[in-house]
Amino acid sequence: MKRAAAIVLLLALAAGRVPAAGPLAAAPDPLGFAVEDLRLSNGLRVLLSADHRLPLVTVAVGYGAGTVRERPGQEGLAYLLENLMFQGSENVGPLQHIGFVQKVGGELNATTGVDKSLYYQTLPSNHLALALWLESDRMRSLAITAASLERTKAEVAEEHLGRLRSDPYLEGSIRMDELIFPDFPYGHPLIGTGEALGRLTEADVRGFARAFYVPNNAVLAVVGDFDPARTRELVARYFETIPPGGPVPEPPRPAFKRESDVVTRSARVPVPGAGFHMGFRFYPLQPGEINILRVLEVLLFEGETSRVRNRLLRRDRTSTHLSAVLDERLSAAALKVFSLNTNEIMVERAERAVLAEIDKLRTSAVSPDELTKAKRRYRLKYLDRLSTLRGRALYLIDAAFAGADMAALGRDLDAVKDLEPAAVLAFVARYFTPQYRVVLELEYQ
Amino acid sequence: MRGVVAVAALAVRLALSPAFGQERFRRTPPLPDARPVELKLPEVRTAVLENGLTVATAVQPGALTATLMLVVKAGEADSPPDRPGLAGLTARMIGKGTKRLSAEYFENMVEAMGTELSAETRMDYTTVSLRVLPEQLDRGIFALRLMVLKASFSERELAAVRREAFWGLVDRMKDPEALARRHLFRVLFEGHPYRTAAYAEDVIKFIAAKDVAAFYEAFYRPANAAVIVFGAIDGETAARRVAGHFGGWQGAFPGRVAVPPPSPNARDRVCFVEAPNAPSAAVVAGNVVMDASGPDVFPFLVLMQVLGGTTRSRLFMSLRETKGYAFYAFSEAAFFRSCGAYWARALAPPETIVAAAREILREIEALAAAPAGPAEIEEGKSFLIGNLPARFESPEGFAEGLARRVALGLDEAQWDKGPERVKLVNADTAGAAARRHLAARPIVVIAGRPEWLGPVAEAFASVEVYDPAGTLVRTLVKGERQ
Repeated sequence: MKRAAAIVLLLALAAGRVPAAGPLAAAPDPLGFAVEDLRLSNGLRVLLSADHRLPLVTVAVGYGAGTVRERPGQEGLAYLLENLMFQGSENVGPLQHIGFVQKVGGELNATTGVDKSLYYQTLPSNHLALALWLESDRMRSLAITAASLERTKAEVAEEHLGRLRSDPYLEGSIRMDELIFPDFPYGHPLIGTGEALGRLTEADVRGFARAFYVPNNAVLAVVGDFDPARTRELVARYFETIPPGGPVPEPPRPAFKRESDVVTRSARVPVPGAGFHMGFRFYPLQPGEINILRVLEVLLFEGETSRVRNRLLRRDRTSTHLSAVLDERLSAAALKVFSLNTNEIMVERAERAVLAEIDKLRTSAVSPDELTKAKRRYRLKYLDRLSTLRGRALYLIDAAFAGADMAALGRDLDAVKDLEPAAVLAFVARYFTPQYRVVLELEYQ
Repeated sequence: MRGVVAVAALAVRLALSPAFGQERFRRTPPLPDARPVELKLPEVRTAVLENGLTVATAVQPGALTATLMLVVKAGEADSPPDRPGLAGLTARMIGKGTKRLSAEYFENMVEAMGTELSAETRMDYTTVSLRVLPEQLDRGIFALRLMVLKASFSERELAAVRREAFWGLVDRMKDPEALARRHLFRVLFEGHPYRTAAYAEDVIKFIAAKDVAAFYEAFYRPANAAVIVFGAIDGETAARRVAGHFGGWQGAFPGRVAVPPPSPNARDRVCFVEAPNAPSAAVVAGNVVMDASGPDVFPFLVLMQVLGGTTRSRLFMSLRETKGYAFYAFSEAAFFRSCGAYWARALAPPETIVAAAREILREIEALAAAPAGPAEIEEGKSFLIGNLPARFESPEGFAEGLARRVALGLDEAQWDKGPERVKLVNADTAGAAARRHLAARPIVVIAGRPEWLGPVAEAFASVEVYDPAGTLVRTLVKGERQ
């Protein structure tokens, strides 16, 4: 076996099929770590970032295969394939991937979003080759059988029903996405009603995998305690000969229906208490504007002294629960607010209060102290994300899919640092307008 | 020669082209690198100030943030029996004002640094911590000193904290597994101070500001505390700053009296806790074991892996994969100052509650009666050795490990020498630990809807039925008319 492997490697070297010998780009270290950015001949992008503090390594693979790639009637396909990725490949039996990783003390998971599906494992660094072997095997030879498909469809449907049963507010969140992104690729849910999932065929799944689970639509990140030269060899060994797929089309551009004014809907979902979702869509954003939005989200909603949180939960006491999330997608973003209230009167007051707090930002500049506070909190959150190998690997994959310059990672923190109150004022005036706003009031029983 | 070249070229072509079959190296999983994997955590430097306060620092090269943490060696078990929850509320009241400065002032001060104060109360100790940007560390130390040393406790602030704690607990107890585990601790630790930690949310309302002040006066003392700083820090400077700010902290601590461990349960005991809205039933079974510094800790940890550490372990394979009794089944152990506890846990549909409970008991008995095989022992060890470093990876994990070590006075086996201790475990030591700690009859607790009680009452000789708050409603004895 060793000899065969050596022959493969020698030939690959001779044919120039290995990654570039040196880094194409190396981050100048604003975040405290360097990144080696390589591309294999089959199009697989490889990001290596060494960190020897603990004897651990994270291997993560991201595929540009999120729900945005599904067509009408295929709702649930991306998530189904995520689950099938654990059902075996040519040399790895069903669920053996999990077993191999757990056997050596590793931890693993996967997730599917709008833009991509992510697979990651953190394990002892002397088992790096194992993780690369596992990921390469399912990238190369995922086993999709009628039996595994039917079993996985049933499991996914059951899991989805379980989530709906245990979270009475989940259905409202799904409807909110459909309202705020009124465009099929961006607004349809991960699973939907489950009807489309039930109708998905083996051909659908194979077609999706063939189109999007290919090296030229993937990013491999290796972060942790490894030797770079040895890791380049291992990556070449396991991934270089995986054939590329056909050309991968760009994800569809959003084509949101234009609304003349604020959209308000009332969801007929059985929830145990009054509440509402409010959302603001941002599309298209100009380069760099996402940084303003990130700071704004912190300023308005993060921390007990943030403007909206302080007002709704403490000053007015109109809400009993308040959360907000900035949903960033490749070409669009949404700020989504969720509030629970004791009754409909409080819902109305809380909605007005949220809008009033945003209006204040439109009419008077935020003070330098308050802006500094928000910037610090944002910076801490950003750095916290990088404190684990997994966090750093997923950060690198996100950056790669977003088209970020690997030599300029962390520069967005500088942009935030330089953010002026006037820029916040202008952003609020431009984007927080009624035609980009959606309100969904929950009807409780 | 030409023939050799042609054969080699064909071999290479075959190896490279998936159309002609896969490369041989793909057929089997690769062996691990031969180089040893060694867990080396940052050195923890400690000093004890004249007032008895321990100051500990750990420099983590490459860290991007700094963490500042006060550890008080008093936890939920130190709350008086008539005031359960007092330790937790006292920790939450730190930062809620001093005689001169309001809670709002401190909140603004902390949030201006871009962070939040977080308080955690465990069985034997409490932590109050701040994670900050490195340039904010000095300010953080200053703020923590003000909040801790000058703390005062108003009824107004306590009312808000009490409300938040109450609803937080109510929310947590919606999870039948949390409810079952709380009840398990309640019955395992009957007559022991650790029972105080398993309190129902209602008792919080009896706590007054004077109680909080009294707890603070008794336990928030320099000789009963430590200040820990780690991350992106200059260790010497940080230690000096902490000493400068906390060196004037006064107040004697008389010391604590060692509490003997409770006896393990030895009789058949089944409890049913009513969880009216539970979507599935939680089944837990456990017993009292050794404390955190006991010699059996590492063999026992390996046993817990064998029993239910992962999806490859006995419980998961049996209850989920083979018999389909549960959605999942695992086991865990926790080690405290006075003793420890283990528990197996499963989430089961209503129709297989009894089968799941019996299967858990059977698996525990089997592990106590017959030694685990060498392959299982080695796999358990392999998981622990590989997984231990991951527990220290995040700032939260590092803080938890360090706080525990300082609070309980644990040796380096509970730090970066853990993997070496695990390596020493063998079938003999694991077997001996199993006989010593798994042979006693575990208590079974089931949390589920009241209408699921029938088959449980039919299956077991005696079932104690509790309401969601943990009050005994009735005892059902098999064969007796109810």
